[in-house]
Amino acid sequence: MNEKIIVLEKITKSFFGNNALTDVDFDLNKSEIHCICGENGAGKSTLIKLLSGALLPDNGKIIIDGAVYKGLSPQQAHVLGIQVIYQESHLFPNMNIAENIFAGHEKLKRFCIIDKRTLHLEAQKILDDLGTDLNSYSIVDDLSVAQKQYVKIARALAHHPKVLIFDEPTTMFNITDANRLLNTIVELKQKGISIIYITHKLSEIIQIADRVTVLRDGYKISCHDSSLKRLTISQITNDMIGRSMELLYKREKSQIGKTVFEVKDLKVKPGGPQVSFSLRRGEILGIAGMVGAGRTEIAEAIFGVAKKYGGTFWLHGEEIRNNTPQHAIANGLCLITEDRQKTGVLLDMNINQNITITALDKIKGFLMDKNHENDLATEIVKKTNLKALDYNTDVRYLSGGNQQKVVVGKWIFRDAEIIIFDEPTRGIDINSKSEIYALMEDLLKDGKSIIMISSDMPELISISDRVLIVKGGKIVGQLEGDDINEEGIIALAL
Amino acid sequence: MKNKKLLNIFKNQSVFLALIIFAMILIISSINKRFLSTTNIFAILQQISVLGIATMAATMLLKSSLFDLSSSGIISLTCVMVAKFITDGMDTTLAAFIGLASSLAMGALNGIIISKTKTLPLIITLGMQYIYSGIALVLTGGVFIGLKGKFSYLGNGKILGIPVSVIVFFIVVVIVSIVLEWTRYGRRLVAIGNNPEAAYLSGIDVDKYTILNYMISGGVFGLAGLVLLSRLGSVISNVGAGYELRSIASAIVGGVSVSGGKGSVFGAFLGVILMGIISNGMNILSISSYYQDIVLGILIVVAVIISNIKNMKAN
Repeated sequence: MNEKIIVLEKITKSFFGNNALTDVDFDLNKSEIHCICGENGAGKSTLIKLLSGALLPDNGKIIIDGAVYKGLSPQQAHVLGIQVIYQESHLFPNMNIAENIFAGHEKLKRFCIIDKRTLHLEAQKILDDLGTDLNSYSIVDDLSVAQKQYVKIARALAHHPKVLIFDEPTTMFNITDANRLLNTIVELKQKGISIIYITHKLSEIIQIADRVTVLRDGYKISCHDSSLKRLTISQITNDMIGRSMELLYKREKSQIGKTVFEVKDLKVKPGGPQVSFSLRRGEILGIAGMVGAGRTEIAEAIFGVAKKYGGTFWLHGEEIRNNTPQHAIANGLCLITEDRQKTGVLLDMNINQNITITALDKIKGFLMDKNHENDLATEIVKKTNLKALDYNTDVRYLSGGNQQKVVVGKWIFRDAEIIIFDEPTRGIDINSKSEIYALMEDLLKDGKSIIMISSDMPELISISDRVLIVKGGKIVGQLEGDDINEEGIIALAL
Repeated sequence: MKNKKLLNIFKNQSVFLALIIFAMILIISSINKRFLSTTNIFAILQQISVLGIATMAATMLLKSSLFDLSSSGIISLTCVMVAKFITDGMDTTLAAFIGLASSLAMGALNGIIISKTKTLPLIITLGMQYIYSGIALVLTGGVFIGLKGKFSYLGNGKILGIPVSVIVFFIVVVIVSIVLEWTRYGRRLVAIGNNPEAAYLSGIDVDKYTILNYMISGGVFGLAGLVLLSRLGSVISNVGAGYELRSIASAIVGGVSVSGGKGSVFGAFLGVILMGIISNGMNILSISSYYQDIVLGILIVVAVIISNIKNMKAN
């Protein structure tokens, strides 16, 4: 039965000059489970959003049941029977399961009054058919993560979909729940629903995929058919990685000194795993791992943004407390967050004001001497190679790369010793990326040390002196020197 | 670079406002020459001095994306307390200082509750409003308190022909300007108003500065109350009613953004002037004061729309 429900032909989509997908071909047969996998940034999310109507492709065709579209709107996707189950919870926590399932298309009696009896009867039927033991009257907020996932599936099923798209559904699951979900999905396929399943867990792919398409850097690399040839993890991994890639950036070797900072037995959630590692002066310690592996949580606990449930921090051999960001900053640490627009820069203030905010006391005078402030800021601007037409413009109008330089700049101004970068070059163009790396090298020369969380494989490999791989909230491996390569990292991260 | 600056000046809401004020002055004074007489000008300034001081307090809060709906309660309670102390025989200066101290305390209390419980300022200050005005009501026993001529200098005295209340108003404007623009404290307030999370991650103790902000603003509201008490010479329990909204409205008309972004003290100052001109002008033109509210309301809505046009265009 090779009836093609969905065909994507030469789909291209880019954002601000970055290609998310380039000339991608993909197709989905009726009643098949077609997995899509790839590293962070391969283009998986973009593909889903094109199918769900959240985005429009720049080029290419979307063919659904033989009808050709240049792009879909969410309503069209809905009418065509495409339902997506996203990772982030989009349920209404204070309403019950039945209300969530039928939100927006409730069963109505006369005069638009909700027919609660039918609502719950039908909701319960969907839940039972799914094989869950959930009760339609339960309040969603009280459910576990796995149970909420089933509610999302039930909600999608209530629309009688032809296609169900799952986006990394088992990220937060334990083994038992994950296996149950996989079995459920196979049952759904047998009921005639065609399924696209996005995951980076290769074992799941081996378990349920009829076919698997591998994406890398926005390109479709391969499509394997399990009925033709048995799928193997090494085969898929090879496709995800590709052949040896050129180094993104050639790093100067720096003088690496003694240990400056240590984390011992850190727990970021009660009863969670313990994390321990050390950072040496003058090194860049890369932190690799798939999205959701728990890296940002570790950084936030170190910086005092999030509460820690155990463990200690040591600076130059002495114990320190980082209970709040102020403490951490006073101890010489700083955190350059993932989302610079949201938490990194003060968008409606100018460059000078953004840079000096971390150490206003350095400005002379009882009332701030603005000329001195300008001098101090100009020093930093020169050091970070920031290019802006007018230093009076609000940071909002700077490019992503320049905004990131402002953020780094304000921590240089503060003389931070240990700099934690969370995705340092996300959303930044290639040229500015090199400038940020050069800036990092300068920091090392000045005796600073860097912890760099990154999902950008070339970045991790080119820039890091050592790489720690995080999975499930704990460190599962460490690579150093020549061992830092894509195979090594992926093998441990997945 | 220079051309850009010129264009930007015209886009600036303060300039726009100044033009409107200028236009209104021309129109009204052409209908009635008395409008521009020295006596009338000082009358206008004196009439708006209390609102003006309160607006400065509201502006400091708005710059941090905060507001205090209990400010009318703070004003009322301060007035009532000081009035009672004076009529009970206390030295007027001492009474005034105790009044100021208590308004600082009331502001601080608001700030502490808001920052420690992480609740919306809207809800907390609304509740505190009832508490403060309720206490004022209890203290007066529902009866008016007359000062019998005491404590009159602040509200009615003159120095070199200029009303003391106006001098106090201008001094407050200058000080608040300096604080917000030139002190590290003010810079932190503005950063918090801009992006509290980024400010927190940059090492600013957001809780501490929120409390300080509410406290100092509370004190300035208290000062407004003292001027009000002195001008009236008497007090009833809800003497401060309406100031909580009018002070915010004047600031908004002046271009101060509710989301803590744009807006200057000078703009807020112009907003107060405009309010004063409208009510005084309408009196002089013998337009019923009932229409003033409608005019004020239209002003506020138009002002917010204008300051949001930039946002709409940006999107």
